[in-house]
Amino acid sequence: MIEIRIHGRGGQGGVTLAKLLAASEHREGKSVQAFGVYAAERSGAPVHAYLRLDEEPIHNPNQIYEPDHLIVLDPTLISPAILSGLKPGGWILMNCEKPPEHYAGQERTARFRIATVDATSIAVKHGLGSRTVPIVNTALAGAAAKLLGMNLQSVLEAFGDFGFHSGNEKAAAEAWEAVRIQRDEPQPGEFHRQEISKARGPSMLEDNEGAFPPIHTGQWANQQPVWENSTPPCNFICPAGNDVQGFLAALTEEDVDGALEILLRTSPLPSVCGRVCPGFCMSQCNRAELEGPVNVRGLERYAGDHGEVSVTVKDQRPEKVAVIGAGPAGLSGAWQLARLGYKVTIFEAGSELGGLMRTGIPTYRLPRKALDRDIERIMDLGVQVRFNSRIDHDGLDRLAHEYDAVLAATGLQRLTSIDLGLDLGTGMGRVMQGIEFLDLARDHSVDVAGEDIVVVGGGNTAVDAARSAFRLGANDVRIIYRRTREEMPAIAEEVDDAIDEGITIDFLCAPVRISTDNERRQLTCLRMELGEPDESGRRRPVAIPGSEFDLPCDRVVLAVGQAADLSLLPEGAQLSGQHPIEQEGEAPVYPAGDLLTNEGTVTAAIGCGRDMALLLHERFSGERLYTDPPAAETVVRADQIRMQHFVLHHRHEGNVLPFDQRQASFDEVRQGLEDVEEARRCLSCGVCNTCDRCVTYCPDGVLKRVGRDIVFDYDYCKGCGVCVSECSRAVIYMKAG
Amino acid sequence: MNMQLVTGNHAAGHSMSLAAEANRNARGSVCGIYPITPQTEIVEFVARYPFSKGKVIPVESEHSAMGVCIGASLNGARSFTASSSNGLAYMTENIVVAAFYRLPIVMAAVNRTLGPPWNIWADQGDSLMFRDFAWIQLYCDTNQDVADTTLLAFRLAEDKRVMLPVMVCMDAFIVSHTSMEIELATQDQVDRFLPDCKVPHRIDPSHPVTVGGMTVPQDTLTHRIELDEAMRQVPAVLEEHRARFKEIFGREVSGALTVYRTEDADRIFIASGTISISLRDIVDEWREKGEKVGMIKVKQFRPFPCEQLVELCRGASRIGVLDRNYSAGTGGIFWQEVKSCMQGQGEQMIQGYLLGVGGGDVVPETIREVVDDLGNRNAVASPIWKGIEQ
Ligand SMILES: Cc1cc2nc3c(=O)[nH]c(=O)nc-3n(C[C@H](O)[C@H](O)[C@H](O)COP(=O)(O)OP(=O)(O)OC[C@H]3O[C@@H](n4cnc5c(N)ncnc54)[C@H](O)[C@@H]3O)c2cc1C
Repeated sequence: MIEIRIHGRGGQGGVTLAKLLAASEHREGKSVQAFGVYAAERSGAPVHAYLRLDEEPIHNPNQIYEPDHLIVLDPTLISPAILSGLKPGGWILMNCEKPPEHYAGQERTARFRIATVDATSIAVKHGLGSRTVPIVNTALAGAAAKLLGMNLQSVLEAFGDFGFHSGNEKAAAEAWEAVRIQRDEPQPGEFHRQEISKARGPSMLEDNEGAFPPIHTGQWANQQPVWENSTPPCNFICPAGNDVQGFLAALTEEDVDGALEILLRTSPLPSVCGRVCPGFCMSQCNRAELEGPVNVRGLERYAGDHGEVSVTVKDQRPEKVAVIGAGPAGLSGAWQLARLGYKVTIFEAGSELGGLMRTGIPTYRLPRKALDRDIERIMDLGVQVRFNSRIDHDGLDRLAHEYDAVLAATGLQRLTSIDLGLDLGTGMGRVMQGIEFLDLARDHSVDVAGEDIVVVGGGNTAVDAARSAFRLGANDVRIIYRRTREEMPAIAEEVDDAIDEGITIDFLCAPVRISTDNERRQLTCLRMELGEPDESGRRRPVAIPGSEFDLPCDRVVLAVGQAADLSLLPEGAQLSGQHPIEQEGEAPVYPAGDLLTNEGTVTAAIGCGRDMALLLHERFSGERLYTDPPAAETVVRADQIRMQHFVLHHRHEGNVLPFDQRQASFDEVRQGLEDVEEARRCLSCGVCNTCDRCVTYCPDGVLKRVGRDIVFDYDYCKGCGVCVSECSRAVIYMKAG
Repeated sequence: MNMQLVTGNHAAGHSMSLAAEANRNARGSVCGIYPITPQTEIVEFVARYPFSKGKVIPVESEHSAMGVCIGASLNGARSFTASSSNGLAYMTENIVVAAFYRLPIVMAAVNRTLGPPWNIWADQGDSLMFRDFAWIQLYCDTNQDVADTTLLAFRLAEDKRVMLPVMVCMDAFIVSHTSMEIELATQDQVDRFLPDCKVPHRIDPSHPVTVGGMTVPQDTLTHRIELDEAMRQVPAVLEEHRARFKEIFGREVSGALTVYRTEDADRIFIASGTISISLRDIVDEWREKGEKVGMIKVKQFRPFPCEQLVELCRGASRIGVLDRNYSAGTGGIFWQEVKSCMQGQGEQMIQGYLLGVGGGDVVPETIREVVDDLGNRNAVASPIWKGIEQ
């Protein structure tokens, strides 16, 4: 009888190795027996397996104490203990890179014959596991079979019984060739019996004091969990750079002031954005996969309207900064700079603060009170303002001499027009620009009662003009737009509201000319169809020949776009990226907002104003507060969130002014949320919210929370991955190693 | 011969699956499963088996696994499961129910030490705790024995003279996880060996009945007497089916007792499970020395084959009972049974030995010590613990 003892680690396949060799000898008609001794059946724990081969039937049910040979799957297991009971002259087959001569002749092993094979490399080469967790059993089966004088063919055939194919077969065949056994005869030596201990173990009653001897089970791990916040999609997308997840987290703890404080770090206009932002964050919200995105806008509004924060200002700095334009970009820049201690003066062409937030966006969407609340907070920092100060090319030159830096945020001052065969503005009082119309409409300084009005365009200006006209008592309001609903740049919810308010939108329709007949106007239009995509990626509208038709009306409002007026900038100045315009001997001019980016949202203007202000600060102070946007790969996707962990909750929408109360009224349509319950719907994607599921479910208790951090005791973490699968929000992930 | 290299678990799973399949033309088969080391491979094997009529039902606990078997068996299905150790402990209530309902359920019990502290190695204490629950208990010693006894168990359980559940027990790891060559049955053989399962009192919607409701002492008395009558049938019925087994499979399946060299023995050792295999070699050693030593392997623990044992041991002056289990306050459970059988049978010395309790490997040396001890001792002592310094 040949008795072989196998030493390996859980997961390496030592028991299967015994069974493979047994199966092969069984095919050859031998009697065989193979079994493992199991303890902690865990990956990485030391495991023994036994193999008996005989011509006679085997019935010894005992473990093998006096093996003829040893097979060692993991070189790190080689220790005096494993040699115990090995018969002198027996071989030790080791999985290691070194040749047998490396070990031969060492005192401990001199009585035995050393054989080696680099089963790890062979296994990895044939795709059996990885370097850290190689599955070496089939390679070692080949090597052991060679040493045992077995038939390689029947070993390979036996693999079939286990469903092991190609890679395993190749590994076995390669190891069969590669195995080397020491040439020298082993030295004669004594046989050391293996003692079977009969000592009494610890008593249940008396010996249960003190700690269990530490077994650093973490050493068995071949992967480790890592706790690391990543980027929630809302934060990633927000053009203002708001910490959306962060302020929602504060709201889940009913900390409205805290939420406002977080918002004010990046944006001074939460009451504004909480009303007019298109909601980029909501378009990316992973909660859309459940019952709909979190109503972030409503919550921002709540924090802006109800939060109270006392703003701290850093020590006064020597530099003076001139800000041109009191729109969101200018105000955002002023806010950041004033808080950093700069002396800020705003030069505003008009007589009010807010730019298009005041002159463009109608009060039924953005009431003055809300706008004023945000703006007051900025002005309270001691920001100076000069109204009615339109800065022209020379003016800018002067500012660049008087001030240390200039932030130019003049927005889009050139109104685009289209040739409708009439000279706008000359006697055609009832053909006007949308921006002008809105500026008049807000003071009720235009009378459209009973009129039929056609608004041309598809942006916010068009929709706002139409809805303002409806509120001022127009008889019939119609928007014509040359593309389809899908391409409309206006905020979708506003378009819905407009339609609900009874405004007709005529899609795929473009004006060609206006003719006038007494009081009435005739707007001649063409039907369009969508052709190839243009440079904006949207499909270009193409006129359908012969599709002309007339729209009789009393007034035409044109809202077909605005563009930047660069005439005030130094000649030849290039607006590119985030660089200031530099002129010899003059202060740098930082362009910001729509003037620079043409993004067309308050939110983007705020973000741009802040970024430019922070870059300006870096120039003077050397302090880098500007942060680069996080890498796109760090953004948490919906499929990384364990949606099944969450309970469904209806989205809180807030009350809406009934339709019958909207005509003749500029009262705010959306009335906001009554409380911050909605914040609890936030999934907190990629950001630990200390839900502690990981701590609860870690089967080994190696996870604990310290403050808001989760720490692992890697000495005892076996890398089972339960924390990873229990983490609802992709904060814990596995790292191989 | 269909010789294959399989583990004890695989042997049990294979026989159970063939038995289940053999009932395809009747009410089919049902197996409620719940995993526990070291029996998990059995239910894994069964769960993968492509039955033509039947269902393997994974449940949330051992209690429910037996519940599934009870329901299925009451519906006339061939029903079986497997468990071990504390899993059996958790199943206890339904283990009683199965027997008292007289349901022919077969369960593989892989003998594992009861915890805590948790220990997965062999010890018969788990299944032996059910000795008073009207289950037939058969303790196997080899993989072949497991394969064959499992088939025999179905035949025995479903015999209308018996109608009792059967536990087929094997030592954890030493049998359950050891690969040995055995002769595996074929479906055709099993089809011939096992008639369709018929549960005479099975429930049937066309004849509504109430089972297991409230009862009165006199009825329970009746039921207990019926259990006694059924248990008394077992030895003869078992022999009948062993004979049939041999006809079909061409090999013997061991019976209630396996006797080895006891004819003229003055020292007889009694053991069960894998210890009896090692014991056999030791008996040979002593016989070679010219000493009159013999052994009896007990397979059928319930009903305990008292009369046969008494008969076999009549000539021996010393009887040693080797137990891999321990009933606190007395000693080994087989030893107790043997003692009570021998009551009033003369002046024999009946000494108990406790070996491998808690799963330690019972090596030949330890058994030799036992054989010596029985030969040399002057008086009976309380059961002697082996494998540990006293
Ligand atoms: C009708 C309408 C509705 C809109 N609705 C929304 C909405 O719902 N949500 C949203 O996010 N965005 C909306 N927008 C877009 C948004 O208002 C603008 O993108 C944003 O205001 C741009 O900010 P800004 O600071 O760059 O420029 P502006 O807001 O245009 O501010 C520029 C300021 O500079 C002043 N100025 C200009 N030239 C000079 C000069 N030479 N000297 C001194 N001062 C000067 C102007 O008087 C003005 O106050 C809307 C725009 C319009 C027209």
